[in-house]
Amino acid sequence: MKDAVRKLNVEYRFNLSDQEIDVVAKQAEEAALLFQPLFEVDVTGITPLTKIDKRVKRTVAIKKGKK
Amino acid sequence: MKAVDLEGLTIGEIAPLIRKKQISPLELTRRYLDRIKTLNPALNAYLAITEEDAVAAARRAEREIDKGNYRGPLHGIPFSIKDNIATKGVTTTAGSKILADWVPDFDATVVERLKKAGAVILGKTNMHEWAKGSNSINPFYGTSHNPWDTTRIPGGSSGGSAVAVAASLCLASLGTDSAGSVRNPASLCGTVGLKPTLGRVSVFGGVPGTGGYTVNHFGILAKTVKDCALVLGQIAGHDLKDPLSSDEPVPNYIKPMGIPVKGMKAGIIEGGYFDEGLTGEVRRAFDEALKMLKTLGMKTQEITIPHMNLVPALQAASTRPEANSDHDRYLRTRPRDYSPGLLYGLIAGLLIPALVYVTAQRVRRLLCQEFDTAFESVQVIVAPTLFTPAPTIEDCNRGYIEADGKRINLADRAGNFLTRYTIPFNVTGLPTISICCGFSSSGLPIGMQISAPSFQEGKLFQVAHAYERATEWHKRTPQL
Repeated sequence: MKDAVRKLNVEYRFNLSDQEIDVVAKQAEEAALLFQPLFEVDVTGITPLTKIDKRVKRTVAIKKGKK
Repeated sequence: MKAVDLEGLTIGEIAPLIRKKQISPLELTRRYLDRIKTLNPALNAYLAITEEDAVAAARRAEREIDKGNYRGPLHGIPFSIKDNIATKGVTTTAGSKILADWVPDFDATVVERLKKAGAVILGKTNMHEWAKGSNSINPFYGTSHNPWDTTRIPGGSSGGSAVAVAASLCLASLGTDSAGSVRNPASLCGTVGLKPTLGRVSVFGGVPGTGGYTVNHFGILAKTVKDCALVLGQIAGHDLKDPLSSDEPVPNYIKPMGIPVKGMKAGIIEGGYFDEGLTGEVRRAFDEALKMLKTLGMKTQEITIPHMNLVPALQAASTRPEANSDHDRYLRTRPRDYSPGLLYGLIAGLLIPALVYVTAQRVRRLLCQEFDTAFESVQVIVAPTLFTPAPTIEDCNRGYIEADGKRINLADRAGNFLTRYTIPFNVTGLPTISICCGFSSSGLPIGMQISAPSFQEGKLFQVAHAYERATEWHKRTPQL
């Protein structure tokens, strides 16, 4: 992750110190761990949620799950 | 003008007096402005006081009412607005250094609607930098102080708004809530805080980069549930300027208040999500609140949300890339004009893959459906608003609190731990209200959240109002 931060440092011209690069890389690593379980969820047939609309019915997957 | 005690005042009580011309909006406004001048130096609730505009609006309101043109319950009512909501001709900083001199040439839709309703805007309130945090310790504009104990934070990011309401420096305030930023400070300052359904209130005019898109809401801080309902009735509704705003009709929100809650069921989410970090004092206050709901005839029922443990990941995966899409240009041009902590977080956010973002939106939908299923067996869901009463400013600076003989960190892998209890209702977009449900042994307010199905704010008001009427917590005021 440190390499990725260094790349951003050059691209965005942040002028981060080595210590700052460590801090950012650690945060990015923690986030990656946090997101891992999202990929264990079966989202087959689920489209992304972009707006709440009472008229939109539940997905087939959920209806099946209920039975 | 009829003698009124600003500290005990609510919109619900004063609006009829204004309508009957027993209270002068101009005198009322002047009294609030005087109080702000006296108390704001110590509390730092307001960043800008728009005295001239406020006096002009109050004078106009008075003239109209005198001529018999009463516009409704917000006519002549003094408000404040969080400083990440655009106000025409008035600096809108978002609590940031980068926007320190930004003066919008337009009003946010909510501001436009408040003005149309005849409200008087007293000024702009302090907040956490870019609304990216919940303690309102702002490195550029100073810390807002909790009026119940000025050594403590008011919460945030709408900290100044909550302080302004709790300290009676306005009658109500508009805030924004993308992770609990209305409910969190409402809880810590002992006010009511409403986050409506996602899309219920237009977010046009919110400063980009202060809330993302999929989890951001504009909300209301006020002294009572009824006051929130009165304000929501005026600002809710479809807005062509906000493609995410809903065209669901706006019902009468006052009507459900007073309908008995007997027989209604309150769901309690099992599985330990709300046990994480929960302090003894908050647990006891919440348990007492549940007892009160039962006394009112409600039943409680445990409910299961299978993917509840994914809420922090969903929140982070949604807000961070969305915020970064707005911050990218400033990150390229003015990175050192962010506080270091925020800058590091934003840079880390640049490393979130698109796949994470889209997957999160899909899982988020699944979570929403799980809540919908839960709402088939209960009418509302209840939970504590925060795990602790207000931490001290010193606690926040060192990064942890000590409670019940334990150390509780204020940040974890998911980021800000102070928002853990509020984010489930951002990720799902469900309408949620925080009301005061007790006080700690050191006299600090404690909040309880009540959530309802989408677009059923009326149910929130029904239950919250019934609880409020049966208790006295909302009548307490801080000694200033």
